[in-house]
This record gives sequence, structure tokens and C-alpha cells, in this order.
Amino acid sequence: MNDDDRTAMKKRVQRLVYMAAGGRISEADLGRYDTDLRQIGLDSLGYLNLLEGLERTFGVAIDLDHEEDHSFLHTIDNIVRYLVAQGGEAV
Amino acid sequence: MNGDPTRGPIQDALTDCLGRHRGRRAVVGSEALSYDELGGRIHAAAGWLRGVWLEGGAGGRAPRHVGFCLGNRPEYVILYFAVLYAGDLPLLLDANFNTGEIESIRSDCGLDALVIEPAKAARLEAPGKGDQVPFADDVVLLPLSRPGAPPFEPRPATQVCRFTSGTTGRPKCLEFSGHAVVSAARNWVLGTGMTGEDRTLCLAALSNGLAFNTSLLSSFLAGGELHFLKGAPLTRPVARRIAESGITRLVAFPTLYRNFVAPGGPDRSAMAGLKHAISAGAPLWPDVREEFRARYGLDISDYYGIAETGPCTFEREADHHSGLGRPLPGAEIRIAPGPEDPDGPEETGEVLVRTASMASGYLNHPGLFEQRLDADGFYHSGDRGRLVDGRLHLVGRTQDHINVAGRKIDPTEIVAVVSALDGVADAVAFPDEDLNREALVHLVVVAASPELTRAAVAAACRSRLASYKVPGRISFVAEIPRTGIGKPRIAVLREQLNASAGA
Repeated sequence: MNDDDRTAMKKRVQRLVYMAAGGRISEADLGRYDTDLRQIGLDSLGYLNLLEGLERTFGVAIDLDHEEDHSFLHTIDNIVRYLVAQGGEAV
Repeated sequence: MNGDPTRGPIQDALTDCLGRHRGRRAVVGSEALSYDELGGRIHAAAGWLRGVWLEGGAGGRAPRHVGFCLGNRPEYVILYFAVLYAGDLPLLLDANFNTGEIESIRSDCGLDALVIEPAKAARLEAPGKGDQVPFADDVVLLPLSRPGAPPFEPRPATQVCRFTSGTTGRPKCLEFSGHAVVSAARNWVLGTGMTGEDRTLCLAALSNGLAFNTSLLSSFLAGGELHFLKGAPLTRPVARRIAESGITRLVAFPTLYRNFVAPGGPDRSAMAGLKHAISAGAPLWPDVREEFRARYGLDISDYYGIAETGPCTFEREADHHSGLGRPLPGAEIRIAPGPEDPDGPEETGEVLVRTASMASGYLNHPGLFEQRLDADGFYHSGDRGRLVDGRLHLVGRTQDHINVAGRKIDPTEIVAVVSALDGVADAVAFPDEDLNREALVHLVVVAASPELTRAAVAAACRSRLASYKVPGRISFVAEIPRTGIGKPRIAVLREQLNASAGA
């Protein structure tokens, strides 16, 4: 995966976060990929929507039970790293 | 409870089920427990609790107050009943309550221990916190010291306490007698046709009235299986569990149903065995109900319940598509036309409810519950509705509580927190929706200082309020329109905000 692909993936994830939060998080707050999403107001319902969106968009199965550390979901950067490691591709 | 604190209606009802359904499966989480095994685990846990308290038996002492601050899992069920069998009092807290809310419950109601996850116990800042006593993987008992006698004592017949959100960060503690808890479960079994063949997957928190009354004891009374899902309730694992375990009843909330019908959701075959899909907590979107029916061939049954009264109605006829169903056994509904809605539809008014499963009162707000009962003992629900052919139809609320994901939030609590901040001249909070049509709290602030930022207000709310109470939207205005007596004019404010958003 080259840098362009990775950037495109970050933009898609950023869009999914925006949708998952139902517009409660401003696009300005989502401008940085290393911002902790919990700090800018992504709540448990927002995470539920985001996980659904990630699974359907990238064709991955995210099992929180088998992941000891949930920090892979804390920033857009981390989410993209996780998706790449899982072999996720936009479907 | 006839003097013996280890006996009571709930224990008697469960003991009877454990004997009658011996050999059948009772609880399924990461492992499956039969009714025999569940009984064994509950009694072992009750003995373990007595060991923790360093006592041989419960005789001659006041019941300990054990707060449950835990997500759904088999250990929740085991410890809940174990606390009762040990002669103690379970208080079912919302697992999302923050330190401030837990502390207020502790000072109002007294808490001798919390059942909690070890990581959360470690984070909890509470004076007089004891050493964690491990119970199971990821579940501990956290002893708490009592600095003094709490100001309020539960009624002698109280067997369970649950909470509703209160003003100024003080959750209101509802007391339920064992008789009320057993009646709610029995009437749910009778009124919804629950049988021993039912396998219920419960995704709503057990501290919530919906899950508590439709799942916890009712499943066992019927001899059925109660299933829990570990991890996030995403549609893929939920559908897999429904298919693999032959789930017949799904107890969930509107957002999950919306995710089911969104593009890419599970297909019909996974849901073939499902007979009842139950949604409550917040109103279900009509289009989601229709799409769910079209995709899965199953109606999502709505029921109507109130924290203070327990379940009230349920729709049993699969092909009936409007209203919230007829009163359950033990529940009576009246409509009180009020002077506040002279222009409303005919026969519309406040919904009054009397059930066999009513709370006895609020432990920490003496007299408040009683004020909401009429002379015949009917509870003023605050909801407006009407009865059509015996079916309840709701049209709105007479009170301005905000319902977010099934939790009622009092806007005055949020306004109180925000008004106390430096640089806030005025504030108001009211219900609104986000782009996904989820209910949210819209907070509107008038800043006295240009240094007050949206981020600072949001951070203050996050540190002082439970996460579900944090406003989903914060707007700044120059002035909040108010009536002559100072009441905020929400409709005018909405128009102003919409106009400026569209500008």
C-alpha cells in the first residue's frame, strides 16, 4: 500500500467517523488523524456505528473480545494501521 | 420478609424455578450453565459473600447494600441472586455512572461494596475504598466503608433498587419489593407468551427496566435460556449468535435495529428462528420497523414500560402495526385529559398507569413518588397518549425530559453544571436529533467572556456528567429568548438556530 492509498483510506475512515457521530463532531475537530476520538466526543453509540461502518466498508471482522487493547480504535491513524494489518480493503 | 432476610419473594420464585427446570440450560455466556449449575453457583457465591463479610450467616444484622456497576454477563446474574440469598440488598447502577454519581448514591443510600470490573474499580476515586476481592475473570467486589449512617433507610420489604437519572447529578433510587419484581416477571411471561422453549438474547443493560423485567427473572420463570453476548452489539456477531444458538427473542434498542436494516446488514436466513424482536427505551423509527419487516419477515414488537411501574403494555398480534399494544396482565391504564392540551386529539391526555409491579418509592427523595400517584394509586407517567380499541398510542410527553438511548435526562441537571462554569452568562438544554436521527441533548450557551470556547464547555460537561448526559450539540447565541416569567422559548430558539445554520 502506498502513501496515496493510505491517505485515501484515512479520508474514508474520517468520513465514517463523521457519519457514525451523526454530525455531532465537527469536521474541524476531525481535521487531525492523531486526535483521540474519545476526547472529541465519540461516545459508545458513535463507536457502535463506527464499528458497523468499518466492518461493512472494509470487509473486516472486528472482534473487541479478542483484542486486549482497544487503543487501535482511538485515532484515525490507529484505525487505518489496524485495517491495513487486517488486510482490509474498501468493498 | 417474615424476619428471615435470606428469604423473600424473589428467592422463593427462583428456588422454585431451579427445582422445576433442573437439567435445562439457564444462562449462556462464554459458557452455558444449566439450572442446577446456576443454583450451585448462586449458593456458592452467597457463601463467598458471607465469607467476605466475615460472617457465618445473615441473621441479626442489617442487609449490606451491594451496588452493581457492571455490564451484562452470567456473573451479573449469579451475584445478583447471591446477594439476595445472602440476605443483602442489590442496587443496580448504570454501568456508565461516573464517580460523582456513584458517590452521591453512596452518601444517599449507603453502599457497602460494588460489583465492578477490576480496571474500573482501580480508576474509581472513592474515599474509604477497600482492597478488591476477585470473584471471577474481570469481576471483583470492591468493599467501601460507610462514613456514617446514610440519611435514608430502605423500606423493610425492599429487595431491589434501580435508578433513574435525577437532577443535579443525583440519580433517583427506586425501591422495589420482591413481590413487585416477581409480579413484573410473571406478567411479562404471561402477557407475551414466553415459554421454556424461548432463548432470549438480552443486549440491553440489566440495570435498565427493559432488560431487568423482560429477561432477568422472567426467562427463568418460563424455564427458558438467557443469553449474553460478549463484546460490542454489532449486527454481525448478533446475527451469528441468533443463528447458532437458535435465539427466539431479541431484546435490543432502536439503533441496533437501524443497523440491521442499513445496506450490508445480515440477510434473512440468519434471523429465521427469531420469533420476537423487542425494542424499547426510545421510540423506534417507523421506516426502520417497516424495513425490518420487509427484510426479515418479522415485526419488531414495541412495548411500553416506565421505570417506576415496570412493563405496562405489549403487542401480541403479529399483524397489528400501530400503537404499543394492550395492557399486560396486572397493568391498568387510564387517560387523564389535561387542561394543558385542549386542542389535542380527542380522548388524548396524560397516561396514568397502575401495575402489580410498581416501585414503592424513591429511597432518596421521600414523598416524590407518592406525589405522582392519584387517589386510586395510578402513576402520572408524564407521557401523553390515547387508547384506541384498548391499545395504547403515545403522542408525546407532558414533561420536558430528554430521552437519549433509553435514558431519561433532566435538562436542568445539564444547565446547572454549565451555568456554574466561569464565563457562562446563560444556558438552556433541550432535546434535538443528530444526522442519524438519534436523540441528543442540545445545549445552547450565552458566553459572558470571549474566552469561553465550545471545547471548554464540552470538556467541562465530560468531566462532570455521565457520558450519556454530555450534550451532543453545543451552540452559542447572543441571547436566549425567554418569556416574561423567564421560561426559555425553545421553539423560537430552534428557529433562530436553524436560520443561522442555513445562512
